[in-house]
Amino acid sequence: MAGTASLSRREPAVLLTPGLLFLLIAFFFPTFQLLMQSVLGTGAEAGQLTLEHYAKAFGDDFYAGIAWRTLKLAVIITGICVALGFPLAVIMTRASKGVRTALILIIVLPLMTSVVIRTFGWLVILGQGGVLSWMLKSLGLISRNISLMHTEAGIVIAMVQVLLPFLVLTTLGSLNQIPRALDEAARVMGAGFFGGIWHVTLPMAVPGLASGSLLVFALSISSFITPSLVGGVRLPVVAGSIYQQMTGSFDWGFGAALSVLLLVVTLALIIPYIRLTARLGGRS
Amino acid sequence: MIGATPRFVTWAAIAFVLAIALYMLIPIAVVVASSLSSSQFLVFPPPGLSLRWYGEILNSEAYLAAGWTSVKLALITVVVALGLGTPAAIALTRFRFAGRDAIGSIFLSPLILPSLIFAIGLLMVFSRYGDGPSFTGLVIGHVVITLPYVIRTVSANLVDLDPNLDEAARVMGARWWQRYFLVILPQCRTGMAAGAFFVFNISFDDAVIALFMRAPGVETLPMRIYSTLEFSPDPSVAAVSAVMIALTILLVLLLDRVFGLSKIV
Repeated sequence: MAGTASLSRREPAVLLTPGLLFLLIAFFFPTFQLLMQSVLGTGAEAGQLTLEHYAKAFGDDFYAGIAWRTLKLAVIITGICVALGFPLAVIMTRASKGVRTALILIIVLPLMTSVVIRTFGWLVILGQGGVLSWMLKSLGLISRNISLMHTEAGIVIAMVQVLLPFLVLTTLGSLNQIPRALDEAARVMGAGFFGGIWHVTLPMAVPGLASGSLLVFALSISSFITPSLVGGVRLPVVAGSIYQQMTGSFDWGFGAALSVLLLVVTLALIIPYIRLTARLGGRS
Repeated sequence: MIGATPRFVTWAAIAFVLAIALYMLIPIAVVVASSLSSSQFLVFPPPGLSLRWYGEILNSEAYLAAGWTSVKLALITVVVALGLGTPAAIALTRFRFAGRDAIGSIFLSPLILPSLIFAIGLLMVFSRYGDGPSFTGLVIGHVVITLPYVIRTVSANLVDLDPNLDEAARVMGARWWQRYFLVILPQCRTGMAAGAFFVFNISFDDAVIALFMRAPGVETLPMRIYSTLEFSPDPSVAAVSAVMIALTILLVLLLDRVFGLSKIV
């Protein structure tokens, strides 16, 4: 008996150690390295602690403009995702099994397609002589070619398509936990169709919608592939300029400081997200 | 009938669903359509149909090399992530010990950190303490971002299964390796397979880690597509993308066949 007890105490340790060691070296250490780099001086002050990179990030109007655009786009993208995702999730819970499966496929297939490829599709749609321009012209709505490339509208259209699945799947998780009888009860008591949605379904979906929105917002501010390719150099966002600092101008200290600021904002959003999904009791 | 949906709501819902389906699928459809264009420019509508771009990529050293790198990277990532994640998931679901919840959160924490930020840290570590980014660096990066998926799928699978089988094997005097290879691992099979699907898909599609860990002579398909898009996209990028889309569709359908999509998402 004593043997079994000591075995079962040692056993999880043996099973966990390789994974934990790996994460310590390959995940936590790099993250720590990033934090250190953001407060280490460069050039003559190499090796000394400094806040110069943060001072630069806060002192420069150019970066304030980029931060403002990033946040504004994230708010718009999240808002549209909620406006489209909530009705879609409600329809999915009430549709027949076949329709529901088809809708899940429509949501999951793009999610599992590389972001680079989806963005490529949007470049062909939004660009000069692209699909959108051609369609509007065929319908007689416009007479000259238009392009939504290098516009904020273009970034929003592409980003909502990239992030909508996250909102739908999270909301679906909380909608699935509402007993169908609740809505029926509301209807029996005299609520109309929209009354049932407004007074029963929506309030009970709020935790799912809230956690979905936080997730979409956090993913939106840290995306750089879609905003960089659609927006181009004219419309830089925070994540895109971090990529630029790290791979183009090689100002690592400043890039690290921008990353840490992005991380702080992301964690402030993600921690409530985890609390909410934990309370929902579902898998996120 | 009480609880019925008004007729106009049903029609509105159908129109809405069709519009969303179009919106979600159009970028993918457009890429596939462009790959069949006979023109060397990405214009709509394509002037004619042709398979020449598929021939082009099959004769392109660069695309074939990138394809091979991507497949190799994804397969190695699957093996390492399953090797590290499966034992951890077994420990987290089959044993009770102090700090179990905390350790569980540690294993899921790469999901919380935007991969952009992790990629930068990894690049810094490889540049400062090594010879700069490399294929190994890419594997390490991909294992970190996919490990949580293995933990999740294997754990979700194990909690549904009977822990008494292992207990029985133990009581009957099975040695540790008999318990693991004859009882526990066969039980994990479904979860490991589901995990492998996700890991392969994430690694094969990733551009974020790949773009930061860009090493000389190491180029994956998403990296190649990204850099082509930055400069001069032509329909051969569309052909490569269409092949990757076909692979994704295959994976999603397999996933649905084997496990049922509605259970996994």
